[in-house]
Amino acid sequence: MKINVNVQNSLSASYTTDLSKEKTILETKNVDLCYVPQVKTLKNVTIQIPEKKVTAFIGPSGCGKSTLLRCFNRMNDLIPGISMKGLISIDGIDIYSPEIKLEELRKKVGMVFQKSNPFPMGIWENVAFGPKVNGIKEKAELDEIVESALIQADLWNEVKDRLNNSALDLSGGQQQRLCIARALANKPEIILMDEPASALDPISTSKIEETIDELRENYTIIIVTHNMQQAARVSDYTAFMMTGEMVEFNATSKLFTNPEKKLTEDYITGRFG
Amino acid sequence: MKKIITFWKKGDSYILLTAGGLLFSLAMVIFMISIILIKGFASFYANDVAEIKMKDNSIYLAEILETEEVVLQSESGKTYNQKQINIKIANRDIFDQDFKWINSNEISKIEYPQNVTVFERWEYGNLIAYVKNLNYNGKVYQTRDKDFWDIFSSAFEKSEENKSEKENLEEELNDVLSPISEIQREISLMEINFPWKTKEIEKLKQQEEILQAEINSQIEQLNQKIEQKVIENSEIYATVQAGDGTEITLPLEKVYRFYRPNDMNFISKSGLYLTRIWEFLVEEPRESNTEGGVFPAIFGTVMMVILMSIAVVPFGVLAALYLNEYAKQGFVTRLIRLAIANLAGVPSIVYGIFGLGFFIYFLGGTIDQLFFSSKLPEPTLGTGGILWASLTLSLLTLPVVVVATEEGILAVPKANKDGALALGATKWQMIRKIVLPNAMPGILTGVILAISRGAGEVAPLMITGVVKLAPTLPFDTTFPFFHLDRKFMHLGFHIYDVGFQSPNVEASLPMVYTTALLLIFIVITLNLSAIFLRNYLRKKFKTSAF
Repeated sequence: MKINVNVQNSLSASYTTDLSKEKTILETKNVDLCYVPQVKTLKNVTIQIPEKKVTAFIGPSGCGKSTLLRCFNRMNDLIPGISMKGLISIDGIDIYSPEIKLEELRKKVGMVFQKSNPFPMGIWENVAFGPKVNGIKEKAELDEIVESALIQADLWNEVKDRLNNSALDLSGGQQQRLCIARALANKPEIILMDEPASALDPISTSKIEETIDELRENYTIIIVTHNMQQAARVSDYTAFMMTGEMVEFNATSKLFTNPEKKLTEDYITGRFG
Repeated sequence: MKKIITFWKKGDSYILLTAGGLLFSLAMVIFMISIILIKGFASFYANDVAEIKMKDNSIYLAEILETEEVVLQSESGKTYNQKQINIKIANRDIFDQDFKWINSNEISKIEYPQNVTVFERWEYGNLIAYVKNLNYNGKVYQTRDKDFWDIFSSAFEKSEENKSEKENLEEELNDVLSPISEIQREISLMEINFPWKTKEIEKLKQQEEILQAEINSQIEQLNQKIEQKVIENSEIYATVQAGDGTEITLPLEKVYRFYRPNDMNFISKSGLYLTRIWEFLVEEPRESNTEGGVFPAIFGTVMMVILMSIAVVPFGVLAALYLNEYAKQGFVTRLIRLAIANLAGVPSIVYGIFGLGFFIYFLGGTIDQLFFSSKLPEPTLGTGGILWASLTLSLLTLPVVVVATEEGILAVPKANKDGALALGATKWQMIRKIVLPNAMPGILTGVILAISRGAGEVAPLMITGVVKLAPTLPFDTTFPFFHLDRKFMHLGFHIYDVGFQSPNVEASLPMVYTTALLLIFIVITLNLSAIFLRNYLRKKFKTSAF
């Protein structure tokens, strides 16, 4: 698939936006998913997510973008009665094969949820939670990990003097960045973000977007968002989904200025959704 | 009229109705608690003793307790009101009863003489009398003598000292005798079980004789000393005169405490009051539980509740965890939940019977046969004891703990659980680090409810190990310190036993009130400590306000 990029300079000019030249890290092939038997939430989804880029999933509510996201770290496994067909692989390895250890996968694929969910413990404890459950015991090593994760999440300067305070005393935006730091502490390859700023005020949102911008060099980020401006601002590639189907996946600049599909155009111009 | 109709239609009447319901319930609770409080605390107070002269010239020395008006019928068929007074005449050994109702019309005079003395005795309850004289050190002291009461006190101390010395000597004697009784027991066991081993029996008998010869002089000496103490104490006695003029010789070693209530001021009475409360809490019961303290019952109750909590909490929490976190939700889990909820409604005596049949006869009996067969037919664990009673109660309170823990677990935000799993935690790590700490307030609620239910339960205990009077506490300084096979005393059973099974119900009434008060107090204390702990944890784990 060759994509013709006409409007490359109009948006995020510095990014490469040729999908075919990207190295694929995560790939799905013909994924079908049913929460209830016979009702397909995902229909034949095939997508190749590029490495160390920000990929945004957009689409109307209930289109299955969050569901697809949760397939990538197998959070959907917890839901009773769910069934999935098709292939999802990371670095060419099928993540649904029985040899895959769930804990290893989730260490590799971090997740930030829509509602910030810091644990009711200290800030340090929150960030160290992941490394700790994954077997790191030494305090010095943990300290180092916590510090670097908090720095990457742009939170270090705000909390470095009160690492033992309860995480619940932080503001909403800080809590969400703490959750990002918590995911980063596991040194993941991929970070899944499920509408990470949907419950935040504009200032906190822009801080989160800045954080994402800083992380794009080292991590593959997949972000689900309702906010099309946000998708346009932060992502390199955007996938538009509707009623469980992958309608269009393209460079963000292309998708928002010159979509290939009529449906995409209708959606981004606000004719529905 | 219209107003009334609108009043009903608007539903304002239901405000009154609901408020009335609440008021009624509150009033009943307050009424009950205040009765127990007043009666319980009043019973420690040293009442003044009145000398009541009757019109027929009989005299009572007694505490006036209450006045009651009764309706009587005269010979002509007319009814009339009559005031009656309940007095505590004490002196059970003389008058056969402690209490008496007298007719207030027949009283000619009531006085409060200074020199009336109340003796609390080790046996037969109180003695109220005038002291005539005292025999001490071979001399006779009269009441009018100078320093009479100081001498009386020192005589009393001396007799107490003698008594405790005598008890120590007796204990010593027991220790000396114990190897012999051990051998004698062995001989009798051999003779019953292996009568053909005559050689061994002979050998044991020889050993016994040697031992006997060795310690004979020691025994002789100890017996002499004891004898001496007995004689010494028999020479310390007071002559007292009861209200009706009977003279009694009262050896002071039979006295537990004496005081002259009419001669006491408020401060010394308060002192006596506090001393009595203290004694009630720390001493052993006397006189088939109607007097003395309730310490063994307090100890038994608290220890049983703690044992029960230790047994029930881990099981209840684990069961609830499995039911909520691991089990596949569906028909079976619903059925199990229903069964657990219903278990909470099973009458407690049914649990008691189950405990008797399963724990004591089956488990205890089997353990006895396997490990304590040398002591059979005397049961070790095959009889009621604090262990089996606690286990029975933990079974009884298990549903409460399971249900409360489940609620606690359900209250843990799913976002936190997902968050932990998304960070690569295993399910057990997630449960241990997220679910359990967050569910702790719920678990503690379960513990609180279990304690409230368990501490007040009596029926199942009566057949699984509670006794009227336990000779020893279930805890002492000999290895292994906690003797879970021992029978124990319990405040709830104490109330039942003293109040309804004692030969002298009226004399033991104060004991019933004070024990009830204490039981309520202990339950409240246990509950409060659990509630404080829960609130502390709640604060710590308050969920995000965001």
